[in-house]
Amino acid sequence: MIELKNLTKQFDQFTAVDSVNMTVETGEFFGLLGPNGAGKTTTIGMLSTLLLPTKGEIYIDGELLTRNRADIKRKISVITQEYSMRQDMNMNEIMEYQGRLYYMSKKEIRRKSEELLEFCGLINDRKKTVRKLSGGMKRKLMVCRALLTEPEILLLDEPTAGMDALSRRQMWSLLRRLNEQNLTILLTTHYMEEAQALCKRVAMMNHGKIEEINTPAGFIQELGSFAIDETTGEGMVTHYFHEKKEALAFADRTDYSFSLRDTTLEDVFVERAGKRLS
Amino acid sequence: MGIITILWEKWVEFRRDFYKITLSAMIAPLMYLLVFGLGIQTVSHGKPYLHYLIPGVVALTTMNGSFNAIAQNLNVQRLYEKAFDQVMISPTPLWQFIIGQIIAGSLRGIYAGGIILLLVWPIHTGLIFNGFSFLILFLNGAVFSALGVVVSFLARNHADVPRFSSYFIMPMAFLCNTFFSTENMPHGIREVIGFLPLSETSGMVRSIAYGESWNPVGILVLVVYLVIFMMIGLWFVYRKQNL
Repeated sequence: MIELKNLTKQFDQFTAVDSVNMTVETGEFFGLLGPNGAGKTTTIGMLSTLLLPTKGEIYIDGELLTRNRADIKRKISVITQEYSMRQDMNMNEIMEYQGRLYYMSKKEIRRKSEELLEFCGLINDRKKTVRKLSGGMKRKLMVCRALLTEPEILLLDEPTAGMDALSRRQMWSLLRRLNEQNLTILLTTHYMEEAQALCKRVAMMNHGKIEEINTPAGFIQELGSFAIDETTGEGMVTHYFHEKKEALAFADRTDYSFSLRDTTLEDVFVERAGKRLS
Repeated sequence: MGIITILWEKWVEFRRDFYKITLSAMIAPLMYLLVFGLGIQTVSHGKPYLHYLIPGVVALTTMNGSFNAIAQNLNVQRLYEKAFDQVMISPTPLWQFIIGQIIAGSLRGIYAGGIILLLVWPIHTGLIFNGFSFLILFLNGAVFSALGVVVSFLARNHADVPRFSSYFIMPMAFLCNTFFSTENMPHGIREVIGFLPLSETSGMVRSIAYGESWNPVGILVLVVYLVIFMMIGLWFVYRKQNL
């Protein structure tokens, strides 16, 4: 279980994360959403101890997380937004380095690396240096590296950024499977469909604060489960309805062309962002 | 153990870049020896100047070898590759990471110095390099590796490390008892420069090379520098808010 208590991070006068209180239950798939600069990556930075909180604490299974708590860090793996790997090492070396940092035996590193690289379709390229890999391959390698140490908690900061649609779907199915095996996952993403497809609960974050925590379905219900995109002379306007018959009644009245569809988490995000702008 | 992991990582790097590392370690010191030692034939303290020069050049080579092996590399890992993030996140104690870097850097320094000794071997200078010489060179390497760790954490961009090198390492290479004795310097400057780690190293290694008695207090000075730089490095990894 991850608990953030009054977590605050300031950079000089700027407050990137502001008194965040949040709990992620063991085995939960939790999403942290928000516009650019909302404080998501800073929160992940503090969870991975790269950044130290200005105020507040992080507890992992009831234990205070600090940079010198090796026993707690052992439970956590992180896939950062950037390709955090030595460019001049090949895949085998990347995996071995990670395994060694987590005190795994050489035999275990070799066995698990083969298994993971095979699973991610990277086994034939394992002698290639990171520099020579495509963006998608680097992402997959980061996943393999994160899973090598059999973590209990996986922190994912934009894990599918730069991936093509197929690789993204493959990644989703892998993450779902891992979560089914009781792995706690905390995800930040710009892809709302990703959060909707994967997360049991999501937190909407803005200006360093948590605005609301709910299930994706809960957020959608709040806005209205049915959406009508109406194409007017001034552009497209979307209207939201709680009941389908309300949406159909609206459609009967309109003179413009329209389409009826289910509301998505992206709609929720866009509506919230629009309200903030106005 | 984390130290072994870091040594392994540095070994992978060394194995891959063996030729590049070896060649770059050789060029500058070889030029110093050729130009100042063999080109400009002169005598110092009643001996060929080359005999004076060799211990100093070996000392400065270990300094450069160690500093460069750590500072630039760690800086790239931290700011560009972000590979350092994975070390921070991992359960490997960060003090072991620092010590691993210092030992690895020091070994690289010894390797670079060793190459110079091999190159001057055929000249038959009669200079003595014994276990104490290598212990002192190792400590010198450790001091500058630790400084490399500190500089890599202080650097805000990739240009900062070469800049630091130009401001501090390069002047030290020329002034610290390598090409001429600090005794010839004006009062005040002489004491300050004489107390720098490279001056101490060159002085001790040269005395041993001449078969003269040497002052072991220099070892203590090197240890003090090492502890100070190591403590600053540890402060960075454990206490710095934003690495």
